[in-house]
Amino acid sequence: MEIKKMIAALLGGLVVLGGAAYASEPPPDGAPASVSVRVYLTEGALPVDDPNSSAWDSVAASEFNLAPQVHWPNRLQEATVKSVKVRGLHNEQDIAILVEYQDPSEDAADAAALEFMVGDKKAHFAHGQEMLRVEGGPVNIWYWKKENGKAIDMSAQGLDLEGPKKLRPQEEKFQNVKATGVWSDGTWKVVFSRALQTGEEQDAQIEPGNWTSVAFAFWDGQLVDGVVKEKGSQKAVSSWWYIRAEPPPDNSIFGYVVMGLLIAAAFEFFLVRKIRKGQSA
Amino acid sequence: MKGPLSTTAILLAGMYVFLKFILPLFTAPLPASLIYLYLVLTLSATMIFFTMSGSSLDSFMGPIGRFLAGTDVGGTAKTARLLVLIVFPLLVGWQTYTRLAPSDLPPAENRTIHPAPPGEFVGLSNPYPTNEQNIQEGKGIYAANCSPCHGPNFDGKGTAAPGFNPPPANFADPGTIAQLQESYLFWRIKKGGVGLPIEGMPWKSAMPRWEHELSDEKIWKVIIGEYDGAGQSPRTWEEEE
Repeated sequence: MEIKKMIAALLGGLVVLGGAAYASEPPPDGAPASVSVRVYLTEGALPVDDPNSSAWDSVAASEFNLAPQVHWPNRLQEATVKSVKVRGLHNEQDIAILVEYQDPSEDAADAAALEFMVGDKKAHFAHGQEMLRVEGGPVNIWYWKKENGKAIDMSAQGLDLEGPKKLRPQEEKFQNVKATGVWSDGTWKVVFSRALQTGEEQDAQIEPGNWTSVAFAFWDGQLVDGVVKEKGSQKAVSSWWYIRAEPPPDNSIFGYVVMGLLIAAAFEFFLVRKIRKGQSA
Repeated sequence: MKGPLSTTAILLAGMYVFLKFILPLFTAPLPASLIYLYLVLTLSATMIFFTMSGSSLDSFMGPIGRFLAGTDVGGTAKTARLLVLIVFPLLVGWQTYTRLAPSDLPPAENRTIHPAPPGEFVGLSNPYPTNEQNIQEGKGIYAANCSPCHGPNFDGKGTAAPGFNPPPANFADPGTIAQLQESYLFWRIKKGGVGLPIEGMPWKSAMPRWEHELSDEKIWKVIIGEYDGAGQSPRTWEEEE
């Protein structure tokens, strides 16, 4: 009877393990191409001032669709920027995020922004808009505009259509985000960088290995009849996605893998031996 | 072929062919995880059936035991045995690795698509009749405000739709507004995404809070226009009784 139980255990193991392999299929058609940004761990200095650095070619990009901002007035029916490719690098001290998107013209009012949830409370992707039945948390926005030539570190919480504007730049002493943009042949490449952790309550703290919610926004600053085409709430936006800085490698995993292999092989050895003994008896 | 083992193998193969290739001819293809679940259930049922008596248990386990022991096997069976003995530890190692390796998949999110509305929005009746004038008026409001996301054909395929996660609702799908009362739509349109409870993940919804821009009358009329345009009817109290 014991042999039969061991055979059943082997069969069960094969069913469970084989099933897990079979059932782990790719997402269905129509699903977004990416759901998260992987910020790769690297050694040495990050290419924070060079959006065209070859270092960016060594890491895979995530791509997210964008939509015209239709959540609140003033809305936009069609935005210029349709999608964004995002790459990330970190060296356990600093993080650099490259956003790459199509924009046919280079204009002074062209702008890009990254938005992060701050802390444990959820925040609405529209600049931490007030939620009616859920206590909301703050957001941290890294904003870059071509004509400024630098990034602005901003915060927002509980923004409401009827209330006072609560989207504001952080005080000068808390400004700790850098950004550099390069336009070429209809493509903007903008690198945002900052320390992974700043110790400031109003900033997103990026802990390697932890998931943080991130969203993107872009403005086409082209002048049409003397008016900037996209400004303020009129922009291309994304929903919330995830970003995670790659944790340092943990080689202890391979020890557990070898242990698993050995235990399984030993189980087989004893099972076969037991069966053969039973047959010869 | 005879015997419980071959019967089980035939049953499993037949069930797989049915679920994977025949069923999709009549309905949507099943995800691999569901096919796997059905196969496990089939295997469990046949194992229970064939192990109910001592003799059937012996006839079920016997060939497996002889196969694993390698006695009286040769040719293809010998190669298959070797493969099983090699593949099993490798699968254990692979599973150990995938369980422990840092995952690139973000945390799973279980969003409730139609959470319960607040009490004040339960059981409200549309004060405006479904007549041609109200239908046309509602469709006009829809075209001006809702179609960029929900689409001119009420199918959730507006020009802005590809950028949103979760995507805008497809009203033509019988699983959306046809399953809801008008009062539910009134709540969702009036309070928008930010009015959802926590299980609806209000922080992710792009649905505007239309009470700032549309009167209650316009919201009721756009509901009439939506149902007509999508070719659906609202769920009513009478149907639930």
